[in-house]
Order: sequence, then structure tokens, then C-alpha cells
Amino acid sequence: MREVTRRELLGWGLTGSAAAVLAGCATPGTTSVNAQPVVPAAGEKVTLTYWAWLKDLQKVADVWNAQHPEIQVEVAWIPGGNSGGYQKMYSALAAGGGPDLAQVEMRTVPEFMLVNGLVDLERYGVSEHAGKFDETLWNQVSFAGGVYGIPQDSGPVGMYYRPDLYEQVGADVPATWAQWAEVAPAFREAGMYIDSFPLDDTSVFTAHAMQAGAAWLRSAEDGWVIDMASDVTLDVARFFDQAIDDDLVTTSANPYSPGWFAAAADDQIASLVSASWGDALLAGVSGAEGKWRVAPAPRWDHGFGSSFIGGSTSAVLANSKHPKEAMEFAVWLNTDPEGIDAMIKYSGIGWSPARDYIGASREEPSEFFGGQRYNTEVFQPATQQQNPDWQWWPITQQTFNILGDGFRRKATGGTLVDAVVAAEARTIEVFRQKGLTIRKAER
Amino acid sequence: MTTQTTTPTSGTPGTRPAAPPPKKRSTAVGRAPWILVGPFLVLFLLTFVLPIVVAIGQSFTTVTRAGLFGEQGVTTSFAWFENYRIALEDGNFIASIWRMLLFGVVQVPVMIVAATVLALLLESASARWPGFFRATYFMPYGIPGVIATILWSFLYVPGLSPIIDLSEALFGFTPDFLGAGTVLWSIANIVTWTYAGYNMLIIVAQLKAIPPEMYEAARVDGAGPWRTAWSIQLPLIRPALVLTTVFSIIGTLQLFAEPQLLQTVSPAIDSQFTPNLSAYTTAFAYNDYNVAAAQSVLIALVAFALSFLFLRLTNRSSR
Repeated sequence: MREVTRRELLGWGLTGSAAAVLAGCATPGTTSVNAQPVVPAAGEKVTLTYWAWLKDLQKVADVWNAQHPEIQVEVAWIPGGNSGGYQKMYSALAAGGGPDLAQVEMRTVPEFMLVNGLVDLERYGVSEHAGKFDETLWNQVSFAGGVYGIPQDSGPVGMYYRPDLYEQVGADVPATWAQWAEVAPAFREAGMYIDSFPLDDTSVFTAHAMQAGAAWLRSAEDGWVIDMASDVTLDVARFFDQAIDDDLVTTSANPYSPGWFAAAADDQIASLVSASWGDALLAGVSGAEGKWRVAPAPRWDHGFGSSFIGGSTSAVLANSKHPKEAMEFAVWLNTDPEGIDAMIKYSGIGWSPARDYIGASREEPSEFFGGQRYNTEVFQPATQQQNPDWQWWPITQQTFNILGDGFRRKATGGTLVDAVVAAEARTIEVFRQKGLTIRKAER
Repeated sequence: MTTQTTTPTSGTPGTRPAAPPPKKRSTAVGRAPWILVGPFLVLFLLTFVLPIVVAIGQSFTTVTRAGLFGEQGVTTSFAWFENYRIALEDGNFIASIWRMLLFGVVQVPVMIVAATVLALLLESASARWPGFFRATYFMPYGIPGVIATILWSFLYVPGLSPIIDLSEALFGFTPDFLGAGTVLWSIANIVTWTYAGYNMLIIVAQLKAIPPEMYEAARVDGAGPWRTAWSIQLPLIRPALVLTTVFSIIGTLQLFAEPQLLQTVSPAIDSQFTPNLSAYTTAFAYNDYNVAAAQSVLIALVAFALSFLFLRLTNRSSR
């Protein structure tokens, strides 16, 4: 055998690499599973995998497994959403694998659609179950005649508050945002804040705009229509610009951040406009037991009584071998009283998207909230007062980041209003870079 | 000295030189290094060369989708430098590179000076328990960067931090470690804390390599500890200093874990705070692998250029 020269080795390396480049250039996620034939039901025993970041979800799945020997579900825990879970899912999808089911946030469903990561459940007859779900949330997973995820939880917004602190400064619990701004200065005089405004987590601002009646993007026949910098949204931005300028809210401690917990434990936070899942988090404030109550969120003079923050779906991923069975499990999990109660008990799930059942334990009076039946009093009615026009879009996370980057400039002299206007322009640009059709709404 | 000249032992002129040694042996000998190096080579190609080549390929590719979600067709095409244009036009990405340059200009010298001073102190004749202190200074490096950042974040967050409480009690001053203007230096602090001991160890190793006769000669010539450090030790540990500096420059551009974790406590850290965070966000939050690949290539080029520049500068001044 003759010896291989270094030059030849290099040559082989380059040839091999060039071949790899060609293979690698097939950017993942460019073929659609929804154009392929429907996968028939297996008719034999199948094992499904479910990637989710809910804790102890396997215990919930075991309830199902015991009743359905032919469809067994195995749960694998992944990090929450953008903290690594999606990254893992995207990589798995790109590699042609992945689980049958995965927890995907409501707002991220269109992003997974963009990489052809989700199965259109309409093709598997999901519409017969549509009536079991909250209408607003069902709308948020329906796009262009398809349904791309089974709503799993959500978070209707209300206001947590400390009656003792409100009494201390002699303020009434605000029913409108105007009243909220009126009573806020009294808390500042007492060295407290009425609330905090997160500059970098724009989901809260988004919920406020949603409540005021905004619909930032909407999918129309001829492409996307963007209406982010509408008067409704800009009014909300102006309102919080003013609140921050007047130092009515703190921007240095985001809700549920370590600094916020410390401030809340120190009686410096009087109220918190947040989602229903905040109840479990509030329990983490030391010495908070019995001190907090829940009221409906303050209202704008137009729009809706509440909004949703967060919320996720059980979505069937594109490479699933058994989409039909996966869908059946997801529907059971999220609408069957047994599934819902188990998810509340083991996983501490957020608000159930089922139309008729909020979970047995949620109808009880809460000891933590001083015996208040806050779920039936506040959050259940809140789910009936939602903005039905809201839709998520394929680059939600990017828009949120762009908006958040703009909001951060508030600390150095920028305004929320400017950030919203700039985010709209940038979002349009990114849509066009991806080749998607988008136009500005007429206004 | 004798020089031996070997003349070819060819036979009579005109005949071919002696035949090569038996073929079998040469095959085995020729194959051996390849077999030995094979496992490394396979891993090296698969996990190092191939990803780089694929990334470069991706950075020249673009995917466009038609319709609402690409249901009207997805096309993949060669994009020339389009992705690089998008990356370079992204003000936040460019800002992150400048931010890291600023970071490096301040943090790298501070850390190298600290590491050198620690090393010289430990290697000085009057040092007590050098082994104990060496281990102590090195210990932060043994703590994973993620854990270190979490530890430090508790010292930075108002309401939890004893440092802030102490400063308020003693001076009536509330330091803001996580603000827009300060968080970069809070990260620099963590990085310096982690890596100063490690760099110190490299320098100590080089100091140990200085022969004792040098010190004796210096002492005989009347050099005190300062003079010894300045004229003997520093010039002789120069290679270690260059090495640690180059590593630090590369490390600076790769900063990722610390800002990623501090994000949860500091609103000032955005999704594109450092170049690596930028590429990570583009790839895995925005799903834009192509632009992310372009960003990665740009980061590598900048790191390469800076390291090269530094080596050129040090080489020139040593001549």
C-alpha cells in the first residue's frame, strides 16, 4: 500500500466535507407532514412519548395508561419552553425524530408551524371535540382551516392585592386602570409600589394591550395583516410610559424574580396584575399566607374584562407515527375531569381550557387567600371576558424580543411608544425576510 | 565535529538503485500510525471539521416560505452573502461585539495582572503555605460557570445580597449591580473570579521552570525581590502570559453562560447581549439557522483576527 500524502488526505477531507455541505444545506423543516397522507389508527398496542416541562406528568399519564392498555403514554421531562425545551424539540424535528406529543406554548404554535413541526389535527377529526374547549383558546390554535394543538392550560388575568396595605394607605382596590393610576402615588408615599412593570418580559404588556382590544396580527386570505402600532396599543404604551415616568411602578424587579419575592416579603408590593397561575408562585413569598386576595383586573375604558398570559398546548409533532392516538390522549388529558384533576394535583397545571370544568379543588375556598373562592369568583368569569380576535404569529418570540430590547431603552430615555412603533416595522421586515406575505392594517 | 557524507550505494552506473525493502513490512509500518490516529481523526472530522463546514455551508443558504406559514411552498437557495448582510445590519449583533471588545479591553488585562501578581507572590521566597493558597485561588475554576453565576447572582440581587445590605448600612449607598451600565462589569467580576486562579496556575508552572541558578545569580548580583520579579521572572514567563492572554481573548468573545443566567435577574441583559447569545437566540429562538451560522462564522473570524493581531504585536515587540 502506498502512503497517503498529506495533500491527498486534505483532498479526501474536502471532498467528504463538500458532500456533507450539500447534505447539510437541506435546511431542516422545509417539507410538510400535512401534505402527506393521513396516518391510519394503529389498531394494535402503541406507545406514545410526550415531552413536557410539567412536573410529575407521568403520574397523570399513568391514570390514562391504566384505562387504555392499548395506548401507553411515556412522559419525558424537558426544560420549559425557551429555556431549552424548544431548542431540544427543534433539533429533534430537524433530525427527523422527536416525540409524538410535546408541550408547546400557545404563542409558539405558529412558530412550530413555520418549521412544519406540527400535525394538523383537523385531518384527524379534532373538530368533534372543539365544543369541549374554551372558545378563545381554541381560536388561538386554529389557523387557516387547521387545528395545530390541543389547549392544555392558560392564565386568565386578575389582580392579586394586599388588603392590609391598601387599608394602610387608605386606597380602594381599583376597578379601572384610571383608578389604578390615581391610587398608585399613595403607595409610593408609603415606600411601596402598587405593582411592577417588567421591561424585558413583554408578555405582560402584550396582555394589557390584548385586554384593551388590540389584535397585533391576524391571518387573512392574502397573508398576514399587522396592526401593532394601533391607537389601542399606543394608548396602553402611553399609559405605562407615564406610570414609569411618575415612578408609580418598579421596573427593576420583574414579577416572580428573586428581587420581587424579596420586596414582596418586605411588604413593598401592594398588588400584582397577573395570571391565574400566579397563585402558586405567590405562595413562594415568605410569610404571605392569608395576606393576599384576588380581584378582577382593572379595566380600560374599552376592550375586555381580562386577558390571557401564558398558556400551552399538547401539540402533536410532525414525526409522530401515531397522530390519531396522540390526539385522543391529548383531548382526554385536557378535558376529562379525571385528567384535569390529576394535572392540578400532580403537576400544578395552570387554568384548564375545558369549557365546563375548572377542577374540583379549584372550586373550594382557598386557605392561602384567606378563605376566598377566588377561582370561581374572579378567574372563571375572567375567561368569559376575553379578546376573541387575538392571534399569535410565526415570529412571536422574535417580536417579543425586539419589543423587549426597545422597552429596555426606557431606562436610558426611550419610550414604550417608540418601541412599539419600531417593533412593528422590524416585525414586518423579518416576515418579509422569511418570504411571508404581510401588510399593514389600514388605519 | 565530523560530518559524515553518505554516498548512494548504487551499483554500477546505469542500473536502477537497490529495490525498496520488502513490501509487506512497509505496509504494516505505513498503516500503523493511521490506525493509531484513526479514532481521533474520525471524531475530529465528525465533531469538529464537519460542523464547521456545515455551518459555513448553511451561512450561504437561505430559506424562503410563501403564504402564511410556508404552506404555499418553501424554497432553499444559495444566498451569497445575504445572511452576512442581515447579520451585519443587525445593530444589536454589532453592539454585542463592541460590548465584548470593551469587556475584553478591561477584563483581560485586569485578570492577567491579578493572575501574575498572585503567581509571583506564591512563588516568592517568603510565601507561607504556597500549596494551600495555590489550591484556594484555583478552587473557583473547579466550580462550573453556571453554579458560579447563580452564586454570584445572589450577591447581586437587591433584597438578597448581603453586600448591598452592608453598603446601605455603612455608607447609605445602594449599589446597583444589575443596571444597564453596571451589569457588564458584574459579569467581568464573575469571569475574573473564575479564571484568575486558572491562569495563575499556568504562570506558576512557567515560574517553576526557571532554573534556581538564575535566582542565585541574581541574588549574587545584588537583586532584591522586586528586581528579580521585574528582570528575571517577568521576561521568562512571557510565553505563559501570551498564552493566557490569547485564551482569554477567545474566551471573552465566547461569553455565554454568565449573561444567559443573569438574564433572569437583570432586565438590562437582552437576548443579544453577547455575540454567542445572539447566535443562540437567532438559531434556537427564531429558528433562523442560516443567519445564526453567518453570525457564528463572523464571531470566529473576529476571534481569529484578534488573536492573530495580539500574537503579531507581542512577536514584534519581542524582537
